[in-house]
Amino acid sequence: MKIIVAIKQVPERDAQVRIDPTGKWMEEADVQFAMNESDAYALEEALQLKEKQGGEVVVLSAGPERVGTTIREALAKGADRAIHVDADNLQELDSLSVARLLAEAIKPESPDLVLTGLQSDDLGLGQTGVILAELLGMPHASLILTVEKTDSGLSVKRELENGWFQTIELPLPAVLTIQSGGNKLRYATLMGIKRAKTKELRRIAASELAAPPASLAVLESIALPQKQRSTQILPGTAKEAAATLVEKLKFEVRVL
Amino acid sequence: MLSLTFTLAEPQSFALWEKLLLAALIIVSAGLFWRRFGVVLDRILQSKKDPGFHLGNLARRVWDFVSEVLLQSKVIRQRPLPGLAHAFVFWGFCAFALVTLNHVAAGFGASFLSPSGAFGRFYFYFAAAFALACAIGILGLLIRRFLVRPRWLGAKLSYESGFIAFLIFALMVTYLAAFFTTDDAPATRVLWWAHTLCLLVFLPIIPHTKHLHLVLSPATVFLSRGGFSDIPPLAGDEDFGLVAGQDLTRIVSLQAYSCVECGRCSEHCPATNTGKILNPKEIILGVRAYLNDIGPRTDEPLLGKYNSQEAVFQCTTCGSCEFQCPVGIEHLPIMIGLRRGAVNTGAWEDDYGAKLFNQLERGSNALGISAAERDKFIQREQLPIFDGTQEYCLWLGCMGGYDPKGREIVAAFARVMKHLGASFGVLRKEKCTGDPVRRLGNDLVFQQLAEANLEILAQSKVKRIVTICPHCVRTIQEDWKAYGTPPPIEHHSEFLARYAEQLPKRVQDKEKIVFHDPCYLGRYRNVYDEPRAVAATAGEVVDPPRARERSFCCGAGGGLTFLGEETGERVSHVRAQELIATGASTIGTACPFCNSMFRDALGASNQPAPQLLDIAQLVARSLPATDSGEPGKK
Repeated sequence: MKIIVAIKQVPERDAQVRIDPTGKWMEEADVQFAMNESDAYALEEALQLKEKQGGEVVVLSAGPERVGTTIREALAKGADRAIHVDADNLQELDSLSVARLLAEAIKPESPDLVLTGLQSDDLGLGQTGVILAELLGMPHASLILTVEKTDSGLSVKRELENGWFQTIELPLPAVLTIQSGGNKLRYATLMGIKRAKTKELRRIAASELAAPPASLAVLESIALPQKQRSTQILPGTAKEAAATLVEKLKFEVRVL
Repeated sequence: MLSLTFTLAEPQSFALWEKLLLAALIIVSAGLFWRRFGVVLDRILQSKKDPGFHLGNLARRVWDFVSEVLLQSKVIRQRPLPGLAHAFVFWGFCAFALVTLNHVAAGFGASFLSPSGAFGRFYFYFAAAFALACAIGILGLLIRRFLVRPRWLGAKLSYESGFIAFLIFALMVTYLAAFFTTDDAPATRVLWWAHTLCLLVFLPIIPHTKHLHLVLSPATVFLSRGGFSDIPPLAGDEDFGLVAGQDLTRIVSLQAYSCVECGRCSEHCPATNTGKILNPKEIILGVRAYLNDIGPRTDEPLLGKYNSQEAVFQCTTCGSCEFQCPVGIEHLPIMIGLRRGAVNTGAWEDDYGAKLFNQLERGSNALGISAAERDKFIQREQLPIFDGTQEYCLWLGCMGGYDPKGREIVAAFARVMKHLGASFGVLRKEKCTGDPVRRLGNDLVFQQLAEANLEILAQSKVKRIVTICPHCVRTIQEDWKAYGTPPPIEHHSEFLARYAEQLPKRVQDKEKIVFHDPCYLGRYRNVYDEPRAVAATAGEVVDPPRARERSFCCGAGGGLTFLGEETGERVSHVRAQELIATGASTIGTACPFCNSMFRDALGASNQPAPQLLDIAQLVARSLPATDSGEPGKK
C-alpha cells in the first residue's frame, strides 16, 4: 500500500507568539516550529499500516525551507521518502489554494491512501484534507481514530461527540483526516535521524505545480486572545467545596 | 625430629625424575591456564576500542590502584569483617609471590632464598606471618560462604569456591608445616610436593572461575574510566550504544570478566531489594555469558537471551552498584549503554517513555506543562530575571519551575539568597537539562536539549549557576561537556554551607532532622557534609541506617519517575519507612525528586508522618519576619 501523509509545520506548543507589523501573521523569527499534532498521528497511523500491510510511506509538506526539519523528523520516524513543496507565501493562501498545491504534488504518485491531520494547530481551519479529497476525486472520511485494512478497502473508526464512535467502510484509494490520540506516538531515534539523511527528499517549487491560485478567502488580521480571569474560589470546608464542585461539574460544565 | 629453631625446611636435592615430573606438571598447568585465559584475553582484545578513552591522569590511576587493590580500601570499608579476611588472603598472596618463585626454583635446585641467610630468614618469617593471617582469613571466608551463607553470594552453594578455599588453606598449611620439620625429614619432601601440587592445580582453575579476578581486577581498577557514571561518547554514525556484541568495548569486556560475583552490587541495589527483576550482578554476568557463548564482533542483540530489557529499564541509576564494586566494574555506563542501544534504535517500546521523549522533543520540560506556567510562577514569586549583571543564575529545573513542591523549594531558596544579599536572577527561558533522557539512553533528545540550553546560557552571559536539583547539577556539569563548555554550577547545599555562619539559627525546640542523601549529590558528587551543615542550623541532624555513600535511593532517578508503576514494592516506600523509623520529626531532603517521592510515600503511610522539608526550607523558616513576607502570596 502506498500511503501519502500530508504534514504541516506549525509553531511549537510553548511558542510565545507575537504579531508582526503587517498584523496578518506572527513574528516567525522568535518562534520554534514543530510537526502539527494531528499530522503526527496521521504519520503514526501510516507507519503502523505499513508495518502490517507492507508498502511505502511518503511524507508531503508544503512551506518554506524551515519545513525541512519537520520532514526529516518524519523520515526519522520511519517514512520512506519525502516531497517538499517549496512555498514562502502559504500564510497568504486559503485552504483551497493549499489543497490545490498538495493535490498536484500527489497526483503523479497515484497513492492508495492519503492521510493528513484533522486540522492544523495554528489556523485550525480543518478543511485542507477534505478539499484535497474532492480535488483528487477520492472518497474521504474525517475525524478518524483508527484505520484497518479490509478485503474491499478500509474500515475506519470515527470519533463523534459525547463519547460516541462510528465505524464506516470505504473503498481505496481514499483520503482520511486523522484525529489526535488514536494511537501512541513513537519517538524519534538517533538511528532514525541518521538513516533519514540517506532517504530521498524531493523539492518541488510551488510555481512548478500550479499557476498561482487566487485565494477565495483572504486573511485580514490575527489577534492574540484577551486574558480573562474566570477562576472561582469555592468557599467552605473541604466537604462543602467538594459538593459545590460536583454540582458545578454536573450542571454548569456538564462533564459528569 | 622437630626443629626447635623454626626455620623453613626444604628438601635439599631433587632426583632427575622429580625435576622432569615438576617440569611436566608446570607445562600442563600453565598450558591449561593459558588454554582458557588465552580465550578470555582474546575476547577482551577482540572487543571494540573504547571511544574517548585515554590513559591520562596517571596519578589518579596509580592512587586508585594503591588504594583499592593494594590497600583493599573498598573491600574492607564496605564489608569490614569479610573484607579484612579477604585482604589478609590478598596480602598473603602478595607476600607469597617471592616464596612461591623460590619454592619452584628450589625444585630445579636453583633456590635463591636461604633460611640461613639474613634476608631469607627474615622473609620466610615475614611470609609465615602472612600465611597464618591468610589461612585464618580463608577459613573465615569458608565459614561465611558455607555456614553463614549470606543471601548475596547466591542461593546456590559454589563448590568450586569451597575447593579453591581448601587449596589456599592447604597452600598456607603446607608452607607453615615446613617450619616444624627438618630439611632431610621425609615429611619435608611430602610437604614440598603437596605445596607444589596445590599451586599447580590452583593455577588452571583461576581463568575457569570467578577467581579470574585475581588476574584481571588489578587491570580493571587501573583502567577504569575514572569519573562516576562516565558515559562514553558515541563514535561515528553507526554507534547507538550497546546494541550487539560488536558494540562491547574492551573495558566493558574486561569488566565483565572481572566480576567476582560477591553480590555487593545486588545487596545495595534498590531494584533488587524491592522485588524487581533487575539484579546488577546478573547484568554483568549476562554480558560475560554473551561473550563466552557468542563473543564480541557479532550483531546478535545483547538484550534478549542474556539480559532482559525489562531489567535494564528498572535501574534508578542510583549508582550504589558502581560505588560498591570492589573490582572496578562501572555498572552505570553498561546499564545506560544497554538502554542507549534499545532507545537509539527504537527497540524500547514504552508508552510512558515515548510520551516523555515526545514531550521533551517538542516542549521544554519533562513534566509536559506549558512554559507559560513557569513564567507565571516567576512573576508570582517576583523572582529577578537574569540580565547578565548578577553573580548567580538560579537554574529552576523542571521540578523547580513546574512542580508545586519544587516551586516551594525554589521560593524558599530565593528568599534565603535575598536575605544573604546574594545577587541572582532566573532565566526567562530554560529547557530540561536532559537528565531523564540521558539516563534512559535517548542521545537524540539529550543532544537537542544540551545544545539548546548551552546556547541560552551563552546568550544570557551566565557565569555561575546555582540550583536546587542535584540531577541538574550533574547533567549540566558532566554530561553537557560532550556538547560544549557549561558554566560552573553548584548545588544549593554547597552555596548555603558557605554562608552557614550567616544563616539564621533556630534556637528553640531543637528538632530531630533525619537527612536523606540524594544519590546525585552524594555518590555522584561526593557532597555529604554541606547539606548536613545547612540542616544543622535548623536542628539536630541524624543519619538513617543507610546514609552517605550507602544511602538508599528514593526511586526517582534514571528517568523512572516519569515511567509507569513499578513492579514489586515501591522503592520510595521502603526508604520512607526507614526514615520514619529513626523517630525524627522532620525528613530533610536536598533534591526535589526525592522530595516528591517521599511526599507520596508519606501520604501513603499509615504512621504519623514526619514533616518533609528541603534544606532551603529548613533555613527559610527561621528568616526574620521582614524577609519572610512571601511575595505574591496572599
